[in-house]
Amino acid sequence: MKSRSLQAAFAAALFTMFAHAAMADITIGVTLSATGPAASLGIPEKNTIELLPATVGGEKIKWIVLDDGSDTTRAVTNTRKLISEDKVDVVIGSTVTPNSLAMVDVVAEAETPMISMAASARIVDPTNPKTKWVFKVPQNDSLMADAIAVHMKANGVKTLGYIGFNDAYGESWLAEIKRSAQTAGIKVVADEKYNRNDASVTGQVLKLVAANPDAILIGASGTPAATPQKELVARRYKGKIYQTHGVANPDFLRVCGADCNGTLLPIGPMLVYEQLPDSNPIKKVAGEYITKYEAKYGKDSRTTFGGHAWDPFMLLSKAVPEALKKAKPGTREFRAALRDALETTTVVGTHGVFVMSPQDHNGLDNRARVMIRIDNGKWVLAK
Amino acid sequence: MRPADDLRRGSPRMRFIDSGGRLAMLAFVVALLAIPIVAPPFWVTLGNYIGLYSIVALGLVLLTGVAGQTSFGQAAFVGLGAYTSAFLTTHYGASPWLSLPVGLALTLVVALALGFITLRMQGHYLPLATIAWGISLYFLFGNLEWLGGHTGMTGIPSLSLAGFDLKDERHFYVLIWAITLAALWATGNLLDSRPGRALRALKGGLEMAEAFGVDSARLKIIAFVYAALLACISGWLYAHLQRFINPTPFDLRQGIEYLFMAVVGGAGSVWGAIIGATLITVLKQMLQDVLPGILGRAGNFEIVVFGVLMIVLLQFARNGVWPFVARLLPPRKPAPVPDAPPLPTRERAHGVARPLLEVQRARKAFGGLVAVNDLTFDIRNGEILGLIGPNGAGKSTTFALISGAQPLTAGAILFRGESIGSREPYKIARLGIGRTFQHVRLLPQMSVLDNVALGAYLRGTAGVARSALRLDRDEEARTRAVAARQIARVGLGEHTFDDAGSLPLGKQRIVEIARALAADPSLLLLDEPAAGLRYLEKQALADLLRSLKREGMTILLVEHDMEFVMGLTDRLIVMDFGEKLAEGPPEAIQRDPRVLEAYLGGVA
Amino acid sequence: MDLSIAAFLTQDGVTNGAIYALLALALVLVFTVTRIIWIPSGEFVAYGTLTLAGLQLGKPPGTIGLLVGVAVVAAVVETIATARRGEWRRLPRRLAAWLGLPLAVAAIVWWAAPLSPPLPVQVALTLAAVTTLGPLLYRIVYQPIADASVLVLLIVSVALHFALTGLGLWFFGAEGSRTPAFTDASFQAGQLTFSAQALFVVAASAILIGALYLFFGRMLYGKALRATAVNRIGARLVGISPSFAGALTFALASLLCAFCGVLIGPITTVYYDSGFLISLKGFVGAIIGGLVSYPLAAAGAVLVGLLEAFSSFWASAFKEVIVFTLIIPVLLWRSLTTHHHEEDE
Repeated sequence: MKSRSLQAAFAAALFTMFAHAAMADITIGVTLSATGPAASLGIPEKNTIELLPATVGGEKIKWIVLDDGSDTTRAVTNTRKLISEDKVDVVIGSTVTPNSLAMVDVVAEAETPMISMAASARIVDPTNPKTKWVFKVPQNDSLMADAIAVHMKANGVKTLGYIGFNDAYGESWLAEIKRSAQTAGIKVVADEKYNRNDASVTGQVLKLVAANPDAILIGASGTPAATPQKELVARRYKGKIYQTHGVANPDFLRVCGADCNGTLLPIGPMLVYEQLPDSNPIKKVAGEYITKYEAKYGKDSRTTFGGHAWDPFMLLSKAVPEALKKAKPGTREFRAALRDALETTTVVGTHGVFVMSPQDHNGLDNRARVMIRIDNGKWVLAK
Repeated sequence: MRPADDLRRGSPRMRFIDSGGRLAMLAFVVALLAIPIVAPPFWVTLGNYIGLYSIVALGLVLLTGVAGQTSFGQAAFVGLGAYTSAFLTTHYGASPWLSLPVGLALTLVVALALGFITLRMQGHYLPLATIAWGISLYFLFGNLEWLGGHTGMTGIPSLSLAGFDLKDERHFYVLIWAITLAALWATGNLLDSRPGRALRALKGGLEMAEAFGVDSARLKIIAFVYAALLACISGWLYAHLQRFINPTPFDLRQGIEYLFMAVVGGAGSVWGAIIGATLITVLKQMLQDVLPGILGRAGNFEIVVFGVLMIVLLQFARNGVWPFVARLLPPRKPAPVPDAPPLPTRERAHGVARPLLEVQRARKAFGGLVAVNDLTFDIRNGEILGLIGPNGAGKSTTFALISGAQPLTAGAILFRGESIGSREPYKIARLGIGRTFQHVRLLPQMSVLDNVALGAYLRGTAGVARSALRLDRDEEARTRAVAARQIARVGLGEHTFDDAGSLPLGKQRIVEIARALAADPSLLLLDEPAAGLRYLEKQALADLLRSLKREGMTILLVEHDMEFVMGLTDRLIVMDFGEKLAEGPPEAIQRDPRVLEAYLGGVA
Repeated sequence: MDLSIAAFLTQDGVTNGAIYALLALALVLVFTVTRIIWIPSGEFVAYGTLTLAGLQLGKPPGTIGLLVGVAVVAAVVETIATARRGEWRRLPRRLAAWLGLPLAVAAIVWWAAPLSPPLPVQVALTLAAVTTLGPLLYRIVYQPIADASVLVLLIVSVALHFALTGLGLWFFGAEGSRTPAFTDASFQAGQLTFSAQALFVVAASAILIGALYLFFGRMLYGKALRATAVNRIGARLVGISPSFAGALTFALASLLCAFCGVLIGPITTVYYDSGFLISLKGFVGAIIGGLVSYPLAAAGAVLVGLLEAFSSFWASAFKEVIVFTLIIPVLLWRSLTTHHHEEDE
């Protein structure tokens, strides 16, 4: 008797095991820049991916995370590998715009949806048969640039100077701020470029200070953004200094120190979630994420880049159950269904409320940004 | 050179003659074709990139491995090819097949310009110059808005062949590897030909190369342009494969990696390029797959492990991986020397009354020091003239003046009535004066046959284009026949296919003489040929020189070794303090009190 | 551009140039003795700054982990080499040098780090740790292939640069650091402000050039080192040990680079990958000096610094293009005026 029930139990267990195996896993492939010039963006993203759940929509997730070293060729190679070898259902990546742009052709050809963590709107705009497969979660640079322009106008700024990275990020920001400034009636009177690793930016800063604009925007990310700021302060520049959302990490505060007091920047609200009103739905989601992140990586280790790795999952947690109704994971139909589902998803993420639509594969609006100020080494909501 | 080492190392030439080599080649091509059919699709992806990198690395094998010009800037030329095509196809809707020649033309112009400036630099200035323009071009690409700036250019069309769109990776694979194999064939041909020998000679020392008529400046620029054109083709393919480009694949880091591939694979051989590209690409992928499992996901160790593996590899395989692979393949039998008619020879000046060489009041001053002071003597047809004197007498300087290594300060040197003082060495070589070197300047890793064939450089005309396309076989056969004949003439026939570095010094000196003879000279200048030879070797050398004299050769011999000179020469010129001290037949010189005083400080 | 701006730019150019000059000195030093084009010199600079930054935070820096690892490998390699030659009696002394000393240094740094000692002590610890790394790396990476061609040595240097950069990312993270200045004093001269730290850098470079010039030109050890570069076998025949020469050179060069790192920490942010560009510009300086002359190398480096400063004012987007394009004619001029000896490789 006992042995028979044991046998039955055993059989049931075996059946469940095989049944599980018959249920396909969802495979999510990630390519990000954990090394190279964009490492300060990619590492928090990688850290965040580690924290993401192991199931979605009742299905187990197989995570595959690859590093592309901020290099376009590697990003493309990684994507091809994820698609052809690992047969992923969706690709998340990459960290930087050029990599993401290069990946568009590959995912479109393979009919696999892609969620990018990079900044430029060009990744998803204009809508065409290729970009219909691509989504992005970071706020468009234009959204952030407008925030700055609005703030400047409200504070009587008439002339603007710009100094940014001599790379895709700095280039994109320059284009956006020129456009936003023009709309706001502000003239860009000087624009300078510098490299991440430059030992000094004296020449550029001297030129900026000589032009004496009312405000200066620094288009850089990570700790290198502190270099021009410190130089400006040393040269006794008296106007307003704006930074971009690329500096939202604790190391920047550490390196910049007292020279950054009073700096203004637009940011995804997650960074200052404690200061948001409780009625803001973003507060809860951001709070969950940041608590988890800081529990593992240390207090005040939060960065906005990490949030960009969390938000794709928020999207997927809504879209995957929809797609599962139509097809099984690992099939072409599933990927198409996933894409369709992503396109109509509305979900609250860490950076804002995503309202995806066929014409807008970013889905963020003004709720995805706030202006903050740096006060004594802390991020503070600016009024 | 340690002879045993050289014997163990394979000769880096490529020959398709013997069946073992043919079989290996066939196996390689079959494996290549099998990949898009049976292997996982990702292998095709990797195979495409390996092909692209191999094309660039082939150029580097030629430029750096063979010609010895270290270049870190090949990635910039790849970028030129890519951006030209991308720009023309996206902004003007041009066909990619048209943009390729435009890209090549642009690369040609830029490479010529850069080459003229940078290839004049010797030693370590050159690599730095390549770094310099590599970085310049990268930032130029990135800051020009109409090239897409740093963000890049999207929407590059793919290639289509006769209406058939090559969008699929596998189709591209066939195209890429067809081009790679063509480049492999052409580069291999080039290395195995007259210009190839000349390029290899550059590494043996410019003085030696120039003495045999190699215009080293021109040849270096040709190698440079060739490498640049290959890189351009790779860039064109890259742009249409990926259909998006931005500056990062063309930066210095990538330029370094190309050089890395060539050196690790084996920069002395065309196969080294393919092996290097394959090894590094595959290794990086494997590390990416395997390391997170072993070392955890916390850090990014691929690059560290990669660096360490490369260091270890280079410690055990300085010449790259190819020599090890070559040893695994069946040993190649060297091509038998063809029985071909000789190359056009020089007319001999027999029975002409005028001396062959006249040195008229030659003078050479280095600043305040007068090394040769109003020296006058003749060399008559068919004689062996010895030039001797104590240390510092000015013999070597005189030798340098005659061979063109140093220009005259005053006076004249006439060869067959034509003034040759202050002419360039290769022009003097062309007139029919052959020479050897005080310190043997052979290319140790080349066979004796190839070393001697270098001597016949000026008697051939095959250029780079003809050689790359293998249209030079006829002349090549005749050159090799000439070389083989000279080797037999000097009595080293059994060593024809040995690596020159494996021979003992005495035989190496004789090889140098064979090389000088291959140029069909009227006058042979020998610079201390007996130095460092043992007794029997000196005998053999003296016998050779006597037999050459019997065949009508005129020889000028600068020597220290009294015994060697006394029994061999017809006349002797004794120099001291830059001036002619005595002249006459050996017996007279031996008894001349002035000579004895100069050598021994007084009558014994 | 008015005079004051030109003055500022000149000051900036000279300060940066002095940094590059220190690297140029190290590069020339290493090349003249070992024929190695020492690209990882930049990593040693970055390690210097970032190790000090780590000590500032009271944490034992990752550098000592590397030190221990490399020391163990060196010990193993030495033991194998000793076994091959059967010189067992020499083994204890060798192990003491190659294993004992680095372990001692690592232990001291590890112990002292959390105690937050005063700045000069931290600087000394940093210098000790990074300097010890140099000869160890020479022993395991370069000594086995010491007579390889310059090209192979260069490629090995590149591989080592990859490894050290990757390790730097692991030890120090992707973000940069600054270190406190030795002194916050500054001087006013008219409109110009000179920070004492910047003056320190320039003065240090000048002194070190002079010292190296004297060392190699006048002192026996220096001449011995030069002899090794010209002819290894000849040097051995007269009793100079090429491996000792190599190790000594690397120790000196690492000390130079670490010192440079400590000096520049206060005036600029240093990242795990800052080293490469700094060493590249130092390399330009070294090449201008023909890889033999210290004063010329330093002058070349200062030239690069000045070019950089002025072109970042004139056209910051094209700064690199200008600097590296203008270098080419200088290289051409130097190449044509140097009498080139064909090397026997």
